[in-house]
Order: sequence, then structure tokens, then C-alpha cells
Amino acid sequence: MKNSHLHPKDRPDHPPRTMQFLSQITAFALIFMLALVTQLTAQQTIRGTVVEAETLEPLPGVNVVVKGTLKGVATNLDGQFELDLAQGENILVFSFTGFETVELNVAGETEITVEMQPADLYLDELVVIGYGAVRKRDLTGSVASIRSGDIGKTTALNAEQSLQGRISGVQITTTSGAPGASAAVRIRGVGTFNNSSPIYVVDGVILDDISFLNSADISSMEVLKDASATAIYGSRGANGVILVQTRTGSASMDKPVISVTSEYGFQQIEQEIDLLDGRQFAVISNEIRPGTYNNVDAVPNTNWQDLIFDIAPIQSHQISVAGSSDKADFYASFGYFAQDGTIQGSSFERMTLKLNNTFRVSQNFKVGNNLTFAPYSQTVAPNAVFAAYRAQPVLNPYYDDGSFGVVYNVGNPLASIAYSNNKNTGVRVVGNLFAEAIIGTDFLIRSSFGTDAALNRGRSFTPAYVVYNPDGTPSQQQNEFSNINKAQGINYNWLFEQTVNWNKSMDRHNINAVAGFTMQQTRSEDFRLAGQNVIRDGSDFWYVTPSYIIDEANNINMLNSIYNGVDAGQYYNMMSFLGRVVYSYNDTYMTTVTMRRDGSSKFAEDNRWGYFPSFAVGWNIHNESFADDLPFSDLKIRASWGQIGNEKISYFDRFSRVNSGLLAVFGNPDEAYVAGTYGKSGNPDLKWETTTQTDIGLEFGLFDRRLSGEVDFFNRVTDDILVELSTPGHLGNGQGQRVRYNAASILNRGIEFSLKWEDTISDLNYAIGVLGNTIHNEVQAIGGNSGIDSLLIGGFLANGQSVTLTRVGRPIGAFYGYVTDGVFQNQADLDSYPHMTQAGIGDLKFKDVNGDGVINGLDRTYLGSPIPDFVYGVNLDFNWRNLDLSIGLQGQIGNKIFNGKNVVRPDPYNFEAHVWDRWTGEGTSNTEPRPSFGGYNFLPSDRFIHDGSFLRLRTLTLGYSLPSTFLSRMNVDNARFYLKANNLITFTKYTGYTPEIGSNDVLSNGIDYGTYPIPRVITIGFNTTF
Amino acid sequence: MKKRNLISVTMIGLMLISCTDFLSVNPQSELTQEAFPKSASDALLATNAAYTTLRNWHYHAGGFPILDIMSDDSHKGSNPNDAASTIGPYDDFSFSTTADGLDRWWTTLYQGIRYSNVVIEKIPDIAMDNMIKERYIAEAKFLRGLYYFDLVRAFGGVPLITSTEPDLRATRSSAEDVFALVISDLESAIDVLPEKDEYGSADLGRATKGAAQALLARVYLFRGDFTNTERYAMDVVNSGLYGLEPVFTDANGENGEHGIESVFEIGAVSVATNVGNQYANTQGVRGNPNRGWGFNRPSIDLREAFVDGDPRRSGTIIELGDVIDGIEILGDSSTPDELTDAQGNVLEIESYNRKVWITGLTTTTQYGHNRRLIRYADVLLMAAEALNENNKSAQALPLLNQVRERARQGNNNILPNITETNKDALRDIIHNERRVELALEGHRFWDLVRTGKAEQVLGPLGFVPGKHELLPIPQSEIDLSQGTITQNPNW
Repeated sequence: MKNSHLHPKDRPDHPPRTMQFLSQITAFALIFMLALVTQLTAQQTIRGTVVEAETLEPLPGVNVVVKGTLKGVATNLDGQFELDLAQGENILVFSFTGFETVELNVAGETEITVEMQPADLYLDELVVIGYGAVRKRDLTGSVASIRSGDIGKTTALNAEQSLQGRISGVQITTTSGAPGASAAVRIRGVGTFNNSSPIYVVDGVILDDISFLNSADISSMEVLKDASATAIYGSRGANGVILVQTRTGSASMDKPVISVTSEYGFQQIEQEIDLLDGRQFAVISNEIRPGTYNNVDAVPNTNWQDLIFDIAPIQSHQISVAGSSDKADFYASFGYFAQDGTIQGSSFERMTLKLNNTFRVSQNFKVGNNLTFAPYSQTVAPNAVFAAYRAQPVLNPYYDDGSFGVVYNVGNPLASIAYSNNKNTGVRVVGNLFAEAIIGTDFLIRSSFGTDAALNRGRSFTPAYVVYNPDGTPSQQQNEFSNINKAQGINYNWLFEQTVNWNKSMDRHNINAVAGFTMQQTRSEDFRLAGQNVIRDGSDFWYVTPSYIIDEANNINMLNSIYNGVDAGQYYNMMSFLGRVVYSYNDTYMTTVTMRRDGSSKFAEDNRWGYFPSFAVGWNIHNESFADDLPFSDLKIRASWGQIGNEKISYFDRFSRVNSGLLAVFGNPDEAYVAGTYGKSGNPDLKWETTTQTDIGLEFGLFDRRLSGEVDFFNRVTDDILVELSTPGHLGNGQGQRVRYNAASILNRGIEFSLKWEDTISDLNYAIGVLGNTIHNEVQAIGGNSGIDSLLIGGFLANGQSVTLTRVGRPIGAFYGYVTDGVFQNQADLDSYPHMTQAGIGDLKFKDVNGDGVINGLDRTYLGSPIPDFVYGVNLDFNWRNLDLSIGLQGQIGNKIFNGKNVVRPDPYNFEAHVWDRWTGEGTSNTEPRPSFGGYNFLPSDRFIHDGSFLRLRTLTLGYSLPSTFLSRMNVDNARFYLKANNLITFTKYTGYTPEIGSNDVLSNGIDYGTYPIPRVITIGFNTTF
Repeated sequence: MKKRNLISVTMIGLMLISCTDFLSVNPQSELTQEAFPKSASDALLATNAAYTTLRNWHYHAGGFPILDIMSDDSHKGSNPNDAASTIGPYDDFSFSTTADGLDRWWTTLYQGIRYSNVVIEKIPDIAMDNMIKERYIAEAKFLRGLYYFDLVRAFGGVPLITSTEPDLRATRSSAEDVFALVISDLESAIDVLPEKDEYGSADLGRATKGAAQALLARVYLFRGDFTNTERYAMDVVNSGLYGLEPVFTDANGENGEHGIESVFEIGAVSVATNVGNQYANTQGVRGNPNRGWGFNRPSIDLREAFVDGDPRRSGTIIELGDVIDGIEILGDSSTPDELTDAQGNVLEIESYNRKVWITGLTTTTQYGHNRRLIRYADVLLMAAEALNENNKSAQALPLLNQVRERARQGNNNILPNITETNKDALRDIIHNERRVELALEGHRFWDLVRTGKAEQVLGPLGFVPGKHELLPIPQSEIDLSQGTITQNPNW
């Protein structure tokens, strides 16, 4: 192995330079602001009235702004305005939601009347694309949006879930039903072996997750999918970008708007897993080990699932106020969210405080902030699901004296819950300060300094306890000494961005350009400590304090009760230059060129910088004269190509490091001595992973846009994937150690579509949306230039068996194992078929896949993919008078689930109900083998592969708004009651709690490890605005 | 306009802040390998690290006691289902090239070799006390010899790595070349290392001259070089530093840790797992008391190998109902006490390895077991065997009888002194003595292989001559090398 090029002398002997950079940034920002305090004096006053063009009715609340400045006013109730103009301030811009923006040269005028035309809402809608916004008609990339109305439709446990089934090409899988659990989000398939999650840009701050956000604070989310849209984010955008805008005050608000929302509901698991009951288990046990139960009719029958699952409350409350004055816009909200888990002893609570402000300091300068402050608290339950699944039904949960009954081999899940005191608390603060200045008429300069800081603290205490066997001896479920574990993690990221936007319209030419520079640092520190033998069990003593313990040599050792001290810190830096030009001619021909240059400290100097370009073109066909006869209200074709980098890897993979955490034991008595030596080799040659994406899209509107739609074909190839590969053992890296290389390629190809029909029939407004996408995921190379490891093993079960194999020509994380071919019916059958020595009559036949006459590991083969072939959603919305009804269906087809929880059986556990249909003699079953507590028949095979297709009634919302005639008397703008249900019905063949089995590890996707089930949620809510 | 120029200047200035500085970030609180080892204390850290492999669970034949399981001394053990598909195949030689544990054993031995190579390659350049420096290097050479001997004995010729920057595409060297390195490493260790009594008590467990001699004797014995076996085994005997524990169970037990019989042992502390050794926990009594997983179940054949009344039988096998240290052994409730065939013949009896027993109540204390890699009884029997082969049977007898004398524990009605001087007859007696004295310590399989008895003894269990003398090269290594590492014959 080549060693790192870095020499010890490269290591700075002074503290990190963060502070220095920060001070430079601050200095810069100050100079910048001073430069802007250049006010011009008023020279002239202009008055005017704004009216609707057809009716000539006055329009109140229209924004009137001097072009190139922030200077402006809103029209009053009579549509009138008055504005002081300085010399050179000749152009006024009139804008109002729902109307086409008007630019007017008012040089020499003192009194004017302006007529505004109703706009094409659809095509003139501004779409945020990162470092700017463009009109939808100018868009050349694939960008999908979701607005606040749709965001509120789910009882969103986290904000990402609002996208579920609403945006094509986005797959969101909840990884666990545990309170506070995150979701795995994939945009256009899985393109890397590393973190495949998109990035989130919340009000301009780049983040890795948005779990801290209250979905009620979100006004819109845009998903950037193709390279043309994401390239401006360069390496950050390789897995897609989700832009989140939070609410703000706006000039059209003539008074502060207060909004109150309150929701309360219940959750329950959708279904229990069908397991053997006590009697059935006893019968099966007697078949495996005759005589185990004397009277199978007299055994207890405990349904452990009933015992651990509960109906659990969920609630969410929020109050916000938004408003605007001539000097400021503001938005402030307070939210509270609380969720108990369906498993006893788990819960999550979060508060969010949001403050978004903008201050117009002068006519061409504004400053503002977006700030979220979100403390949370989470109680974590032990994995009782897996224990309840395995616990034998013939055991009683409690003895007659009320103490916990022993559950052999598994542990009594109720005892595990009762003795667990595992709580995480923390606070996340995300926000930015920004300043924007307009210079001349066309330039906008923006500086922004954002931070994302999180403090997370964990505490877990387990008292010393023993669960006894019926004969009074201690069982294996015991904790000899009480344990206390403390953890504290600090994450601190900052991002400085400096951009310049230039907008220019000349005749039919429209140019929108941006150039920028960004710097960012991501820093974390983990601090952990564990203690043992705490002096008393009560929570007053849940601290790691030294108490004594007597060691092997009978020495009193004051420090031995503290162990596992960890203090690990790390950080990395990035620096980027970015630029984009959007040019359109006559609103008909558009092109976008983007370039970003990213530098990351994760790479050695020679490979540090990556260049990521993209090009896109678009054509609004409906603007062509020949299209006049076509029935399209709009029709656009667009195409894009681009490259994006990725470096979501550990910060220091390039370094070969020293493992100084080793301990050697010498001496009599045995004592530990510190040791340190070479850890695994790093790879100094690491470079950027690159995704090349091509996208061709068609957008159309028909029948006066009652029918609208969008179809995209995309082809994404990721090369030089940064993948950790096993290295040959003789390199000495050690068991299970992998070294990172740029050594794989993956193809994701697919078609996305979304169609929407909207219409009104008398009082009924309705909309029907259908969307879907296909994904073809294929590994094109592994090993690459490193020349090692042409396959990746993953999906490890608790017994160390792996059930996924990633290799060329197959999808990432494809399942592999034996192929079953029935059950050995008799001796002749057994003798005539190759089999392992453990196999007997009544056991499964495994196919001799490689035909060598021997059944062994080489006969394991591809058993299907956890990645669906087709993901779809159907959304139905109805409004009739004061009633509204919204139905969201979501489904996927073609993915497989590996029932991992059924496979790991070192000891006698309960069985799934299918075991009851077992083989009991020739001809009785050719699918379900004779019963056994584990072993041969439980080798990973297609017996445990299930069809993961499902269709789920994801959301159902029924609302009633109080009549406005009634509300206006009370000065209330609107008030609505609603009933919401999430996951009400799921259609699936899968027998687990849920077919929605996600993982953030792309090599362990779709494996049901006994996951915390995702609940069904039913809530009632009330929302009012006044 | 001036102010606008100022902005431009500032912006350009900011962009020109050396990108290299901002983007050059080193690991926090971690050294890189270029910066280590550089000092005398670094040298000690690196030398200590080469020993840590010995406590790695995988070092012990990949974790599970497969060498005993492959022999006629024991079965897989544990619950019948536990590891049935992974370790079970070692019991009847049905395992394949992808067999569980082989890869773990291979990679871990090479990790130990890498750790040793760091010492051997890097420490010579450090300015420090020369005596200590030489000793550190000799310790590392002892360990490297130990690790390579495990490799060459189990897998035959393997890639010979003697540098900290190995070739990614290294191919297998011949077994001869690997043995040559083992022998030269151990010879240099013998030249430099202190004897056991020259270390302070805090350094016990470090490689000694006696340990290197005994290991070299074992290497030569495996190769059938009885002249050198005699030479190095007798060096240990004649050093006068070693003897036998009066009580047989102390030879592997807590009382005998670093005692007179201990030639080389692996220190372990039971307080916390990161200084413990899971070797004994893997084999510890399963169920009640809960001392471990219960692998390595003594066979009926092994029971019958002990003559009636030999106390070593109960010092080797824990039967259900035994009371040890006041604790009654009840065993595992989900494991049948007996395993019978269709005719009702008893095939296996639930029982456990007594040699890993350690006083205490929990599985944690079991992590404190100090595994003896070389004990003096083995050295005596190696010397006796070599002397007999070298036609010095009369000299062999007293050494053999020392072992028997301790075994009889003062009961003169059993295990009489051997007086046989016929070379062939005495050879069989010594081999049998090795079996009962050293049972379940990982020797039996290799003894059967090296003496050519494997086919006769293990054939009925599934041993195929010409194949099973070597384990297969782990399939993963062949795959990772893209075929430059080749498989052993008949696998």
C-alpha cells in the first residue's frame, strides 16, 4: 500500500485556523455593509392608482418598488400609492400575486394609472432553484414542488414524509416507527454505496437532515432532480437537493396574521404478525423434541405482541404570527410536538421556535435572519419487537408473585422495557444572518452566514437486576452491576456564502446570472463515559462518579467504575466557487449553463478540487406560431446534461492512521498496558466521486390546463464511487477492516411522470394526480482500478450471515442465498438429490445452482432486489362548499423483502404461523419443511424472500371549514376542523408489521430485522387564522 | 465607485486566502503512520501492540475451537442448533473453502504479522537504549514466528510479508520459505530474549528465550526434525526454570497463571472485555451456571482414552452434576443431555471443557482466563518424543514419567511409571500421553496429522487424506486476490 504523501511537518503546530477565517469573513462583511450606506436624496414624488385591467377596479396591496432597490410601498385600499423618487430612479415595478408584473418608466411623471393583467399563475410562478429563483416558464431543469397546503396533509412525524407519494422520482421509506426516527430519502435511485441521502437547503442553509423542522413552518419544498438543477450545489447535490422555504411575513399582509393549529390523535400498529399460539408451539416442540410438553392443552398461551404494543397518543400544536411593515417582514412561531411510541416506554417530544425577519435598512439594502431553535427529548425503548417475536408463547410474563417470568434465550421483553432508562435530549439551532444589497439596477449582492449547531446528550441507566428461573436460580437475563452510560455530542457547522446575481432584460433577451463563493466547516465532538455499580438505583444517582471496586488482585481501585471514556473530535472544510447563467429568448428558447468548483479537505492536495459543469436547454413550443392550432395551453421540451461530485465519506479516509486505543496485558497479576500501532491503511489517492446525469423532459398543459403533466427520462451514471473494499488479508488491515477506494460505477435509469387533472363542477373543485417512476439500478463495476473485491457483501444478520451481495450486473444490495426446490419427501428423494450432510427427510431441498453435485456456499445466488421497479402515488382532492376531502395513495411494485428476523435462530424461539403447515410425512408439504428450532432449514434462502409490493392509503383527510359569513362577524379569517388518518389501510402480501422496510445502509436495504412497526395514525385537528 | 472597488478588492482578497491552508485538515487526536513510532515510548507501544493480537477472539482459530472439533477429542458442542451450519461442518469434515472462521483467522494472523513488522522495520531507526531496542525487536520476531507458524501449519505456503508496505498482489510463497522465516525469526529471538526469570513480575507474558526455544521445538517436531526438536526442547528442560504445577488443573487454571509450568501464556483481565479474552467464554459452561457458549464438547472417545481413575479426566471434562468451586454444573436447559442415534447409542453427552474454567459467577469473569499457548508438560513430552525418535528412549522415560507422576496426584495405584524402551511401543505411549495430557488445548489434530495417523483415526469422521492435512485457503482471499493466491490441493 502506498502511504500518504503528507509528512509530519505538514501538520500545523498552531490551533486550527477557523477563528482566523471567521474574523476575515466578519471584516469583509463589515466593509461590505459600510459600502452600502450610500443613500441618495429624494428629488421627486409620484402618485398613482393601480387597477385591474378589465374591470378597472382598484387593486389594494400591490407592491410598488423602484427597480433595483428595495424602496417601495404597497397600494392602499383604494389602489393608491405615493412614492418619493431620487434622481435616476425612473423605473417602477408593480407586482401582485396573481397578476403579471408591470415595469413602467415614469421619468417626468407625477401622477399615473397602472393597469394590471391577471397572470398565467402557472407559468409565472417563481421556482426556487438555489441561489436564485426563475419563472417556471424559464426552467430548463427537472424541479418538482410541493406547497404548504399539501405539506399539512399527513400527520408528518418528520417534514420529509410530506413528500411521500407526492413527488415522482422520490422514494421515502420510514426506517422505523420509533418516535423520532428518521426517514430514508432517495431521489432517482441509489447512486452510491455511501450516504445516498439528498441534501436539504433550508432558507439557504445547507443541511443533512431536517428532522428539527416543524412542517407547519414550511411554505414550500422544491426537489431538484436533474444535473442542471442540482449542479449549482456541486458536490453537495449528487443525491439530489431538497430546497425548503419557511414561512415569512409578506408585504401583502395588511395586518399581522395569527394562525393556530392543534392536533391530537392516536397511533396503533397496523397488524400483528401471525405467530404460533401456546398450544401450537407445544405441539411443534414435541415434534422436534418428543416429550417436551406433557399436556399441550395445558400450556399457557401468552401473546407477547399484545403485551408490548399499546395505543399511543400523538399531538402537535402550533401558533404563529406573520406580518409586515414598511421596514420589516416578520414571522414567529412556536410549535410543540409529542409522540408516544406504540411500544411502551418510547416517546419523543420536540419544541420548535422559529423566527424569520427581514429588515429594510435602506432603499437598496436589507438584512435578515432565519432562525430555528428546537429542543427535543426522546425516550428509547429496547428492541422489544424482536424479543416479542421470538418469545415462546408457553411462558408466562409474570410469576404469581408479580415478578418477571423468565423467557428463555430471549429475555422477557417486559423486563427489558421496565429496566431500561434510556433518554436522549438535545437542542438544534439552525439559522442564518444575511444581507442583500441592490447595486445599480441589475445587481443583487448577498452575503449569508449560516450555522447549524446541535447539542445532543444521551443517558442510559440499567439497574442491577435478575430475572429468575422458575426454580429460583438466576436466568441469563440479568445485569450483574448497574450501568450508567453518558454521551454528549456537539455538532457545529458554519457556512459562509457570497453571491452576486445579475438580471437583465433587453428586448426579448432575458439573462439571469449568479456567481458566488462559499466556505464551510463541519465539526463535531463526541464525549462519552460509562460507569458501573452506581451507588443507588434512583435517578438522583445517574451520574458517572468514581466509586470503588475491588480488582483481581484485591486492590481497591478507585477508578474502575468509570470506563469507556471517549473524546473524539473531527472536522472538515470545503470551499467552492459557483456560477450560473440562465438565458432565455422571447420566453421561448432557454438555456442554462452552470459551473461549480469544489474543494474539500477530505482529499489530498492533488485531488482536492473538482469541476462540475452542466448544460441545459428548453423550448416553450406553445409560444411558437405554428403551435397556435395545437390544443396545448403550454408545451415545453427540455434536456440537460451535467456532472456532480460527491464526497460523503469519513473525513480522514485518506490518512493511514495509528491505532492508539489498544491494550496489552502483562504481569502477574494481570494488568493492562497501553499499546499502539499501525491501524488500517488509508488511501491518499482518493478523489471525487462523479455522477453524470442526462435528463430529457416534456411538460404540457391541455384543455386550458385542466390536464397538466410532466414526463422525464433520466440516466444517471455514478463513477469513481468512493467505496470501502475488503483488502486481501495479507495486507494486515485486520478482520472486517475495509479501505476506501474510488472503485465502482452504478447506473440508475428511469422514467418519471406526473399527471394532474383539475376541474370544477358547480360547487365541486377536484383534482386527481397520478405520479410514478421506474428505476433500473445496476452496478456496472466494483473494484475498478484498485483491482480488488469485485463484490460487496452486506446485509449482515445477528448471527453474522450476510444476505446481500452487490456485484456487477445486479442492483445494489441484491439479496442472495440458496434456492429451494421443495422438501425431501423420502429416502429415495434424499439419495437422488445433492444435499448438505445436515439435510434429512422432511428438510428443504436446495438447488445445486452451479451444478457441481455439491451443495455449498457457491450455490447461493441472486434472489431479487430490495429496490422497487415502480413507485407510484395517486392523490385525490375534493372541495365542496365548506367540505374538503383529500386522499393520498402510495405504492411500490417489484421489490423484495428479506425476513431476517425469522432466520437467526440459535435457540428455540416461537415460530411464524406458516410453520403449522409443516411437513409431517411423505406428501404432506412441499414448501414448509419439518419443524426445527433453527439450523439447516433456516439458512438464508428464497424461503425468506417475500414480495414487498404494497399499496397504502397513506393519507385521508376530511375537513370542514366554518362559513366565512359566520367567521367574519368574529374577525376570523378562516377556521377549519379536520380528521386525518395516516396508513389507514395497506394492501400487501408481506406478513411482517409493515412492507415499508428502509435502511440508510444501501447494502442492508429491505431486510426486516424486527423493526419497530410504523403505526397507523388517526388525528383530529383544528386550524384557525385571524 | 471607490467603495465598490473596495468590495472587489476584499472579495478577491478573501478568495485568495490560501485555499491550501483552509482545505488542509489533519485528523484530530490521531497520529498518522508517518509520525509513528518515533521515540522510545512509541517503541514500547508498538511492541505491546504486537501482543494484542493474541487476545483477539479471531486469533484462536477464527474464534471457535475448530482444531479440537476436527480431532477425535471433541464435537461442536453448545446447543445443537447454534452454529450448526457454520461450525458443525468441522466436526465431520464437510466444511468448504467458504467455511466460517478461516478468513477471520487468516486476516487476524496477518494483522499480528503487520503489528510485528512495524516493530521489526521501524524501531531500528529510533534512538533509544540499545538493549531494550534489541529486546523489543526480538519479542516481535518471536510473535511473527508464532503467527507464521500458525499460518503455515494450517494453510501451507502463504504470502510472506516482512514489510509494513506489503504488495497488494503478493502470491503464496512455498511452505519451505515460510518455515525458514519462522525458524530464523525464532533463532534470532532465542539469541536476544531474556529468560523468564530475568523479567520483572510486571513483564510476565512477554516473549522469553524459553518460550522461543519451546516454540522452535514445536516447529521442528511438526516437521519431523527430531534432532532439532530434542535440541531446543532440552534447552528449555535444562534451563531449570520450569516445572510442573503440583495440581493438574492449575496447569491451565488461575492458580498457575505465569507459574512454574507456564512457558508462554496470554494474559487477560476479566474486569472489562477490552482487556479480556473471549477464548474461554466461547467454550465456557452453557446454561447454568452461565459461563459461556459451550462450544468444544468432549467426545466419548476422549473419555475412553483416559485410564480408569486418571484425575486428568475430570481435570479435562466437566460432566453435568459436577461441583466446581462450590458451583453445581446443571448445563443448558435447551440442550439435550445426551444425543443418541436411531439405535439408541449415545453419540454425545452434554459436557464442557474444564481447562477453560475460571472461578467466578458470570460470563465476564470467564474473559480473564489466561490461555496457555505453551506449557512445560508439552515441552517434556516433545523432548521425550524426540529423544525416543533419536534412539535415546532411556533418556526419554524420566521426562515422560514426570508428566505421569504429576498426573497421578499421589495415587500410586494409577498411571505407573513407563519402563518401555522399544522405540515403536514407546512412541505410541508418548502419543497417547500427549492426547490425555494436552486434550482440548488445540494440539491433537496437528499431532495426528504430523504422525500420519490422521487417516486412520479421523478417516471414519470424514478426514480425507491428501486434502484435510491443510485447511483450504479462505475463498474470500482467493477472490480478493483475483486468483493470484491459489487454493490448496483437492479443495
